[in-house]
Amino acid sequence: MHLLEVENLTKRFGGLIAVNNVNFHIDEGEIVGLIGPNGAGKTTLFHLITGIIKPDSGTVRFKGEDITGLEPHKIVNKGLARTFQVVRPFRNLPTIANVLVALRSPRGNKKIEWLKTPERKAMEMLEDVGLSEMMLEPAENLAHGDLKRLEIARALATEPELLLLDEPFGGLSPIETEYLTKSIERMHLDGHTIVIVEHKLHALMKLARRVIALHFGEKIAEGTPQEISQNKKVIEVYMGKSM
Amino acid sequence: MVANYVRRIYTNFATNIIDIPPRLLALLCFFILLVFPVTGPNVLLLYVLTYTNLIAIFAGSWDLLVGRVGQISLGHALFFGIGAYGTALLYKFYQLPMWVTIPSAIIIAVAVSILVGFPSLRVKGPYLALITMTFPLIFVSAILYFKQWTGGENGIAGLPSFFSLQFFVERGFSYSAALYMQKVSEYYMTLLLLLVSGIIIYKIANSKTGIVFVSILDDELASKASGINTTRYKLMAFAISACFASLSGAVFAHILTSIGPGGTLSVALSFLPVIMTVFGGIGTIYGAIAATFIIQILDLYILTDLVPIPMEWHPLIFIIIVIIFVIKWPRGIARFVVEDVLKELSKEREIEERGKHVWKKYKKKKQEATESAPED
Repeated sequence: MHLLEVENLTKRFGGLIAVNNVNFHIDEGEIVGLIGPNGAGKTTLFHLITGIIKPDSGTVRFKGEDITGLEPHKIVNKGLARTFQVVRPFRNLPTIANVLVALRSPRGNKKIEWLKTPERKAMEMLEDVGLSEMMLEPAENLAHGDLKRLEIARALATEPELLLLDEPFGGLSPIETEYLTKSIERMHLDGHTIVIVEHKLHALMKLARRVIALHFGEKIAEGTPQEISQNKKVIEVYMGKSM
Repeated sequence: MVANYVRRIYTNFATNIIDIPPRLLALLCFFILLVFPVTGPNVLLLYVLTYTNLIAIFAGSWDLLVGRVGQISLGHALFFGIGAYGTALLYKFYQLPMWVTIPSAIIIAVAVSILVGFPSLRVKGPYLALITMTFPLIFVSAILYFKQWTGGENGIAGLPSFFSLQFFVERGFSYSAALYMQKVSEYYMTLLLLLVSGIIIYKIANSKTGIVFVSILDDELASKASGINTTRYKLMAFAISACFASLSGAVFAHILTSIGPGGTLSVALSFLPVIMTVFGGIGTIYGAIAATFIIQILDLYILTDLVPIPMEWHPLIFIIIVIIFVIKWPRGIARFVVEDVLKELSKEREIEERGKHVWKKYKKKKQEATESAPED
């Protein structure tokens, strides 16, 4: 049984087909990359999987259970968390409280160890992503790179089995990218299955063992990073047709 | 199982993360209110303050819903009215004692809030404000329609008060003294009620549940993506808010001993907490409570008794004051006092302390230098 199965998923926005008959699956313990140029439907695909948008047709199965069209918070409590491409912190709350919100969800609350306060757990989560010094600072005072890491800490607080990262490297400096790559590797070692959307291929190729390429809402290729980087269709999509 | 619940409740209220309460300042204000009746028999001010205590609970409950959860309700008088009419009707038809009618009125109000909130909390922002605004108007028309039971525009009179005059007269007070004693007792009762409900509302607003409330205010979608059932939390906030609003309404009915739709369900009453909260600092519960005292005393005592100005001019004066405050201190007067002034003061003190420390070190060094100097 696959951890996540997506079958014939389709979403139309008026005349535009954002996601067209996409099929793929993700197994436990993988790091999968999802690539494609701007407007390929990567974020829409994430929205469909996590229930923020309802699909027109097709099914999403998580651990063999049909989760198509469920409310977002129900899907999160089944163990499928995500981050957003454009950061969405709770700006009025201190950094630690951002994590505490996720620890307040049924799944996050259940996973707190006995005799450990939520604050303590939140501090540990912030330490893991390197934000412990900013703990009591309101989230609106954090820099963009810190907010990206805060998003990940918040998603991790619900103890997901599958973590969907929507462009985690967007707008980060090379040093921050390297740091984040390492922490994603560490999360993978902790037992999280991870899907990363990215259109900067360089960072992704280091992490992912398998890459899925999308273009205009359709899956055009799937394979190891090496295969994908030599795939004709993918090169065509990224570089344009050779004359 | 039980231990888990106890732990959950304990960790919910264990620490303050959102803001640090101005405990000393609040205690000082409470102390002033506590000793106020001793200072002299000022019946009018006593009456005004009794009413203000109740309106402060009302404003605090509105601030929890709007300032912390961001669900704008412009019809909060609905719950005040249900509290007042609930207890009055239960007394009128069943002659139940007060300790039955007031809790029942609160339960009715909470039930109505869930019933009303379930469909209307699905819309957001100005649409929610407009929908909530209609509810008290519907309730008023219902009261006018069922005239034979509710008394229509004349309302219901002859409700029992908390402390009967007879009780004091029997104990050897003259009639006027007994009247004063009654008012003083009512004042202390409402003050105690304000203290207890204020602390409860503030504690809820700063608990882990309160953090979730603020997350809904900031970004509902992100809150959902963190696994929070936002509809449930919004309903919870609505119910808590309705509970305290109806409590103030029910107590108000028994203090005035007669109620009508004008005093308990008017649009003006719905907008009262808006003015208080914006003036005091939206999202700080204590700000709304403090601002209620400032505005009510100004409105009902200073501008009517000390410097009599016709009632018609009061709204204009308040609008000017509020506009000045909103421009000068848009985060509210309470935040200005607590966060800016007090922090500045404590910073100065800290610098002074640090200065002392440095001075001591410097002195010590100098001493050491002079002690070691002769040896050279």
